[in-house]
Amino acid sequence: MELLKKPMRARELIAMIFMLIGIKGGDTTPSLFADEAQNALWIAPIVSFVVILPPFITLMYLLKKYQTRNLAELLHHLLGTKLGTIIGIFLFVGAFISMAADMRNIVEEINYLYFPNSPTIIIYLIFIVICLFVANKGLESIGSLAWAVLPVIVLTIISVMFVDFQATVWQRIFPILGGGASIVIRDGFSLSSVFLEFFLLTIAYQAFHDTKQFRIGMYTGSILSVLLIVLFYMIYTMVFDYNTVDNIAYLYQESTEIVPLGHFFTNISTFFMVGWLLSNFLRFTIFLYIICWLYGALFQIKRFEGLLMPISFLAMILSMIPPNFITNEMIVRKTSFHWISPIYLCFPFLLLAASLWRERRKL
Amino acid sequence: MFPWQKQKTAAVQKRKERKISRNLKSNVAYIEEQFSYGINFDFVSQEIVSPASRYHLFFYSTTIDTQQLSDHIISPLLEAKKDIPISRILTVPSLASIESMNGAEKGLTAGSVIIFKEGSPEAFEANIQDFKHRSIEKADNERTVKGPKDSLTESLTTNISMIRKKMPSKDLIAESIEVGVRPADPVTLVYVRDLVNNDVLENIKKRIQSITVDNIRNVEVLEQFLEERPRSLFPTMLYTERPDNAANYVSEGFIAIMMDNSSSCLIAPITIWGFFHSPEDIYLRWAFGNFSRLIRAVAYLITLFVSATYVAITNYHVQLVPIDLLLAVASSRERVPLPITYEVLLMELAFELIREAGVRIPSPLGPTIGIVGALILGQAAVEANIVSPIVVILVALSGLSSFTAANYSINHTLRISRFIFILAASLMGALSLLGAIIIWLAYAVSLNSFGVPYFSPATPHTKSSDDTYFRKLLKNIKWRPVFLKPKDVDKK
Repeated sequence: MELLKKPMRARELIAMIFMLIGIKGGDTTPSLFADEAQNALWIAPIVSFVVILPPFITLMYLLKKYQTRNLAELLHHLLGTKLGTIIGIFLFVGAFISMAADMRNIVEEINYLYFPNSPTIIIYLIFIVICLFVANKGLESIGSLAWAVLPVIVLTIISVMFVDFQATVWQRIFPILGGGASIVIRDGFSLSSVFLEFFLLTIAYQAFHDTKQFRIGMYTGSILSVLLIVLFYMIYTMVFDYNTVDNIAYLYQESTEIVPLGHFFTNISTFFMVGWLLSNFLRFTIFLYIICWLYGALFQIKRFEGLLMPISFLAMILSMIPPNFITNEMIVRKTSFHWISPIYLCFPFLLLAASLWRERRKL
Repeated sequence: MFPWQKQKTAAVQKRKERKISRNLKSNVAYIEEQFSYGINFDFVSQEIVSPASRYHLFFYSTTIDTQQLSDHIISPLLEAKKDIPISRILTVPSLASIESMNGAEKGLTAGSVIIFKEGSPEAFEANIQDFKHRSIEKADNERTVKGPKDSLTESLTTNISMIRKKMPSKDLIAESIEVGVRPADPVTLVYVRDLVNNDVLENIKKRIQSITVDNIRNVEVLEQFLEERPRSLFPTMLYTERPDNAANYVSEGFIAIMMDNSSSCLIAPITIWGFFHSPEDIYLRWAFGNFSRLIRAVAYLITLFVSATYVAITNYHVQLVPIDLLLAVASSRERVPLPITYEVLLMELAFELIREAGVRIPSPLGPTIGIVGALILGQAAVEANIVSPIVVILVALSGLSSFTAANYSINHTLRISRFIFILAASLMGALSLLGAIIIWLAYAVSLNSFGVPYFSPATPHTKSSDDTYFRKLLKNIKWRPVFLKPKDVDKK
């Protein structure tokens, strides 16, 4: 028996977006931006966000206009089953590769920083199994869980910022444009698919109490997440300065490692691992669930929970192919972003064109 | 249906349909046979001959009030000069006419007196039952310093009377439905008519009626039959012995389930916050109540995580510990041969043993527990280098904290979960510990109790009194818990 139908509201969505995207402030994404933009690494995500905003708003507008259940239905509705499915597969593959590469990064990070003697595959397996268990509980439980864990995460973020602020030198933010305006803008453009999760989340358009709650949650969550990312990247710049910042892989952990808290707690970075790890479990749980949902919706698989296991293990096996972390981050992830970004930037406009064409034909 | 079952049900059906005959002798013979008169020492079959007519009384001498029997039944019957109906002779307050033998049998087993009259096809049931039960005592398991002290007792009528005294309203309903067959036991649902959600009420009724078991004697057993997930670590009904607590819940739109022979009642549906709150939180002033909640929240966290965190940190994340503390820990367990995980598990197990023994031990032997626990398991184990002192401190801390649990049901959840976390922490340090925590939490969040999500009103959010971690000022509480979908939401 269920007393409340579709009980999830904006707050659960905000928590989920925070876990899914805001947490990119603490993974290896900043080093990806810093590679070229140098100490303008905090401007690049703003550029990316501005770049994805028009296609994203277009997509939200179309979803509202056609009142379809979700992204996959919108694709099918506007582009026809065949073309819609093909575009959907592109989106899925892009998201899948991005998830696999991200997951490998996180696991390598855990391995390298906290369990240097353990084999990667064991940590990977534990990580995947935990995500699978949680993902199996369904979207409502994941949303509630994200909201329930949020206080821990927020506390961690605030304390990290507090700790890091002690080591910042604000002059290090100059030169503001880092490697140069053109480089920053190009970087922001080509890496704009770091925010591809925004597009994916529209698969849950009708899963919330009503679509208004979804829109509120989506906009608030994305603005908060981008703010968090920008703030974090700014702190990294101010802590490390331009020559170091593009040579450090794990900026989040490094930044907490160099700051002692009083005379007693001299090594506090593991404290901040708690919130970081919890949020990463949730991040990949949500990511996994959403891409399985997309796949299920594309091919009319009703009980797509059965896909969680095969898709996650496939992602694990594929992501183990790059020989090491550096290759994975700097070649696989970066190249894949360069390829994925145009797909995600263009498909909403393709949908808009289809919608306009349909309307014209009707008249 | 199998043939032998058919025969059995047919026989039961036939017996149920038997009418009371006009012939007193045949009625008496039937009842005496059914109730094994002569073998049952307390079953009384008494004939009364008055100037006007002949009567026959049946009753269990152990379940009725003998004073009332002689004053209000036997003497009026003996003094009756004319042949007038029984209902006009007897002076008992509760008298009912019955026409079938089945009704007579039910009345007898419920502790009434059954009166047959010569030549009359109806009998009378005089309800003067006096079942013996404990008097109302202080609440033992859910103590409060401030607030009412009485607790429920093993008599349903007494319990209901306590609730009615707290909520004098015509809308307070105590509805009785039957469960089981050998014999059928009444289950009483207490709710407020114009608040309760009908879906929830019907759901509970349906579940009670669909229980197929020979008997259920008390709510403790009923609870396990009603729960959606009987194997789950988390209770989905609140078990309370305080009538004031029950009345508070009922007046919010919850349903209390009561049975005779239980000195407690069940509250359904319930959220996880209900297990975390004590009735005293409301009786205490705002700041004091919230302070006590804060302490309790810290205690829950300590109980669940302190041992597991120690295992994880000392085994896998030594770099986290400040160097002075690390040296202190290392030197304290310099001569301890056991690995840390075993050491912690050993002490946790020892503590559980003390606790279990403390519950079962006869009270004259009680002080022994203290000596055994404190001296042998604590001091001697440390001196013998079996465990390090720091582990004794941690286990004592987590054990002590687990006693702050406001409800006994959640106490078990905390204790068992603690072992899960210790084992998880020993597997892969913080990674597996946090993984176990998040799976545990995901499970808890996914639960629901009679359709109400387990973590509401926090998530999914609904309007409510916002009584989760902390409570508001009482005058600022505007809404009843909307996650129950009560008929009336506004509290003012």
